[in-house]
Amino acid sequence: MTVPAKLFQQWLGSVAGNTSQAAVCRAAGIKRSTLAQQLVRGRVSVATVAAVSRSLDVPVVDALTVFPKFSDLASGMKPPTSAELLSQIADADLLQEILNRNAATEPTMATANTKLSPVPHRFSVRDWLDAIDTSELRQKVARRVAIAPQNLSAQISANRLTAELAVESARIAGVGLTNGLVTTGLLSPAEAGWTPGSRTAALKATSNSALVLLAAQRLESWGKVLRRNEDDTAAAQNIWENLG
Amino acid sequence: MTLTLQWVALAVCLGCTAWRIPALAQRRNRGMFWTFAFMSICVALSIHAIYIPLDGLLGGHNVTNVFLRLSLFVVFYLLASKVAAAYNSPLALKLIRGPVGLAILVACSLGIWISYFLSEVKGSTTGMAEFADQPSIEAYKAFGLAYAAYAAAVVVIPTAKAAFSSKPMLDRAAALLMCIGFAMVCASVPLQLLENGTIEALFSFGPVLFVAAGLALVWVSFMRRPVTPKARG
Repeated sequence: MTVPAKLFQQWLGSVAGNTSQAAVCRAAGIKRSTLAQQLVRGRVSVATVAAVSRSLDVPVVDALTVFPKFSDLASGMKPPTSAELLSQIADADLLQEILNRNAATEPTMATANTKLSPVPHRFSVRDWLDAIDTSELRQKVARRVAIAPQNLSAQISANRLTAELAVESARIAGVGLTNGLVTTGLLSPAEAGWTPGSRTAALKATSNSALVLLAAQRLESWGKVLRRNEDDTAAAQNIWENLG
Repeated sequence: MTLTLQWVALAVCLGCTAWRIPALAQRRNRGMFWTFAFMSICVALSIHAIYIPLDGLLGGHNVTNVFLRLSLFVVFYLLASKVAAAYNSPLALKLIRGPVGLAILVACSLGIWISYFLSEVKGSTTGMAEFADQPSIEAYKAFGLAYAAYAAAVVVIPTAKAAFSSKPMLDRAAALLMCIGFAMVCASVPLQLLENGTIEALFSFGPVLFVAAGLALVWVSFMRRPVTPKARG
């Protein structure tokens, strides 16, 4: 996911003034050659924009809003729904919460650590899309952005999603436009306007039944992923055993 | 052109045979060594400069060509059963190692010997080209081609499936190359009708290169495999 190099340079000039490119790169922690290459190709990655704006203390969302593709990003920010917040809690944390609630009913057992692991987790993108999906979200996104559905699936399985797809998904689902960028790790929850501790609050507010059902759903899809991996490994092993 | 192709194919086969020697020493997948050893013999015996002196030593009755055909059967039997097992196709494995496959193999081998003895084949000729007008030699060639085409046809589908699956790129490329090789062997049957020597050579030695390249990719992926504890024995 990229923005035009020309616009990037205009933006850089407006926020960094006369600071040299080398200094910008050093501050942002980007290799100079990486930025140079992106400029030569005429496309600068959004990750670069985010890193540069962080180093200059410019809010990342404001920086992205400068570019036409993301012009409505800042105005489209909305606090995440409870389903979105829950989707960004790792499987292990959900299970831990179930165990903790179970332990709380039995006074002899100690309650374990309740700190949630950071966003994004291993299946962040998929779980977020599932959480905001009303009907056929993936097909609609693929059609709107003109990307082959299997390419979209490949991104989701790899826990990746281009910024354009993430914003478009949020737009179609009618949720905050920055929320998808959190699931890909481009933005931190705070940068996307999520209040600190909101995930924990959403988790605490979830009823036992909803929590257990959500965990069951997560375990089922986790099991499918594991089985697919095991099948692939077994197939590769089979080829090596016979032909290797 | 044909000659270059033959020598290149021979070099590739000998190279692959040599590559399998360490595995042979470790007693791992020895079938692959024998496949390439026999494949080298087949290719070598198709080359005029090798065939004529060798057949001369054996009395000039073209019995060397019979060895070529039978070696080819060994190659196809070993290779097709390995590939069918590798790509997890019980049906293909049954069609090669099961009663049907073995019956076809035995019938073709007998057919080779019978049609050979029925023919007038005095005087070494590479590929029996000078006797092509005898009906029994036509049958002889047909038997030779029949088993090869049968075995290749059986494994075309398993390799094609693997080539278009969601496996890693390297594995798919390997399967695709083998699939092309086996498909070319099948295609060589109708192409016999053209009676064009260059095309015939292309479809005889081309598959050797494709299959060897595919297997080489499998070996590359085998060498790059994740290290697993040796507990599986």
